Amino acid sequence: MNIIEIKNLKKDYPLGKTIVPALRGVDLEVAEGEFMSIIGPSGSGKTTLLNVIGCIDQATAGSVKIAGSEITALDDRAVTDIRLHKIGFIFQTFNLIPVLDVLENIEFPLLLMKRPAAEARKRAEKLAAEVGLSEYVRHRPAELSGGQRQRVAIARALVTGPDIVLADEPTANLDSVTGASILELMREMNEVEKTTFVFSTHDAAVLKYARRIVRIKDGLIEKEPVAA
Amino acid sequence: MELLIRLSLRNLLRQKRRNLLLGSAMAIGVAILVTAGSFSAGISDIMFNRIMRYVTGHVSVRFNERGGVMREIFRDGERARAALQGVPGVEKAEEGVGYFMRAIGNGKSDNIILVGANMSAELSDKERREIEESFRVVEGSWEGARDSKAENPIIISAEKARYLNVTLGDTVRVRFRDMFGQDQAARLTVAGVMRNDNIFMQPVVFLERERAKALLGYRPWETASFSLTLSDPKRGARAVADAIHARLKPGLASMEASVNGRKTALFGVKSDAASREALAARLKLSPAVLEAALRRDGALLDARTARALGVRQGEEFRASWARKFEPGLGETRLKAAAIFSGEGPGGVLVNDGKFYAAYYRDLPAAGAAPAPGWEALLAPEWTLLPRTYTTDDYKKKYQEIARSRGKGTTADVSTMYETASDILKLEGVLNLITLSAVLVLFFIILLGVVNTLRMTIRERTKEIGTVRAIGMRAEDVRNTFLLETFFLTLFSSAAGVALGFLAMSLISVPEFHPQDNPLGMLLVNGRVYFLTTFWNTAGSVLLIMGIALATAWFPARRAAAMSPAQALRHYD
Repeated sequence: MNIIEIKNLKKDYPLGKTIVPALRGVDLEVAEGEFMSIIGPSGSGKTTLLNVIGCIDQATAGSVKIAGSEITALDDRAVTDIRLHKIGFIFQTFNLIPVLDVLENIEFPLLLMKRPAAEARKRAEKLAAEVGLSEYVRHRPAELSGGQRQRVAIARALVTGPDIVLADEPTANLDSVTGASILELMREMNEVEKTTFVFSTHDAAVLKYARRIVRIKDGLIEKEPVAA
Repeated sequence: MELLIRLSLRNLLRQKRRNLLLGSAMAIGVAILVTAGSFSAGISDIMFNRIMRYVTGHVSVRFNERGGVMREIFRDGERARAALQGVPGVEKAEEGVGYFMRAIGNGKSDNIILVGANMSAELSDKERREIEESFRVVEGSWEGARDSKAENPIIISAEKARYLNVTLGDTVRVRFRDMFGQDQAARLTVAGVMRNDNIFMQPVVFLERERAKALLGYRPWETASFSLTLSDPKRGARAVADAIHARLKPGLASMEASVNGRKTALFGVKSDAASREALAARLKLSPAVLEAALRRDGALLDARTARALGVRQGEEFRASWARKFEPGLGETRLKAAAIFSGEGPGGVLVNDGKFYAAYYRDLPAAGAAPAPGWEALLAPEWTLLPRTYTTDDYKKKYQEIARSRGKGTTADVSTMYETASDILKLEGVLNLITLSAVLVLFFIILLGVVNTLRMTIRERTKEIGTVRAIGMRAEDVRNTFLLETFFLTLFSSAAGVALGFLAMSLISVPEFHPQDNPLGMLLVNGRVYFLTTFWNTAGSVLLIMGIALATAWFPARRAAAMSPAQALRHYD
């Protein structure tokens, strides 16, 4: 079953008086439980595609279905709820909340879902342990290394049990060893939690972790499938 | 909400220096507001409860006999008190006896105002404390003024004692004209010297009220004017004055009298031109004849009454009546100046001047009703002056009274807003200064909050994008910023209130005793006076919070309205 179905997706950005097309008619289907990579050079439209899939940016035209729901016609409140309940995000620059410690960052989406504090804390502790941060739960982001921060981000993305985890260049700010460990962790989580992972990268070295690779260039899916 | 509160409080601590500076500005703002508000409330308290209360009362009920401003007397005290009884909002009705006199001290003389003070044991501890606070006796004591053995013991202001060159135990001789227009002299003994920073109180000399009344010639059943203290003078004064005014509506002044052993009625004829003209027309007499008949002791009788009383034209006769407050009969001599043939009111008609002199001297035990349709031309028990609502109208009313030379007693009900508007204007000016301070603060806070929030939002744009991407709703983003402002203002306000209280206690330390300076009346016991109330303090805090939150609303809403993708793309 497809968790993501995209048809003829277009996204334009106005730049002064000109319109810059970022996506020019993308068709893509992602099956449930996939561990898929979107590769392409800088400016190819990877981040825009992830943003539209993740409901944080709106399509200019086309259809985007997430877990069977068409998201292009929904209002802000509805897409916010989809982001909270169905999608987890991992950012290139980690994007943790600096005033919260590791556990608080991980449990943050659960509290937004109004889950009981004790339940949220228990789930956050479990995930912190799974990503190997049990000893750092009281540390604030500024007190962690880049790899540790990205682990927190992975735990935060997974804490709500989302249908899809989207990761935008998750290893771009990490050294190769740490980056590899993060991708290992993501794959492990994909296997354990059965969560669909879609991550973008322009680093050919990380492709060996992907089970499916989609290449994007100039706003179009170039060739599919690419053998992993 | 708990999450948002935790997030807001943690965010506040992120920019310690910036928030400390803004918080300090707010704290100083609250301190100024609390101090200015308490100063303003203190002035209101001084004005309404310490000055107006003693100078004119919040509402004053004045009685003036024969248009004389110094003849503040009402002959039937019981009826006056009955009109004041049970009026909602009236805390206390004090009989106010005040009289200008020429005083001679030790080789010096000056004018004084002799004021009858209630020194009875019925005063509550609070009232006694207020009096002793407002009129602080520095030599002698209030007890001394209650000494029944001393000859008219008085409490005199320090300034007046200095002018008259008198001190404790000295005698002050006074000359004055009493309620009956007779020149009198008396001796007063200095039992106390008071210090009062209110310039209006400097000519005042206090004498126990009953003694003052006796000295001025009041009889036991007569009363002077009344000063009313209200529970809520600012809001209640006009309503109370209107209610008392309605109760003071006079009836017809008439006497059930006896002439030659036969019963009749005695009426006064109004002396204004319109009434006299109407009366002449009704009696079919020429105005000249009527005027001549009503001169001095002249009386008008219809033929039937004259016959019944056995009185002939030109004959002198005596009318007598039972008195209301004293045993024996009241009496007046009259002359039957004219006997007319038509229908009259059914009694003896005399001019109102003559009538009132007899009527007020010996109030009758019983009145008499005239024949229907005559009341409008006959003298009322007293003249109730119309209510006025501005100082100008009030002044005009009294100029009119002075011009009309009324023969009866006038009754007037006024509020402090008419009688002492100049003093109250001072309160208005001081409140205006407070308002200006509030406006200045408003702009300081407005600029501070808007600027700080703009910087904060700019710095945290990416973070806003992150929390929105994670699933935080737009209104929660907005509420986070509003909560930050709320907590910053709350903590600043708490510090500001403490700072305000500290400032007030420091300002109240030094003592001032200005001489002949009207600003001295703004002091209590020589110190700047602040009246802090819960609502004043809470109001100041709520005002600052309201301004801060209203100012924060727009930047917070803008932050919430940002698209997550746009916010995530933001780079400083």
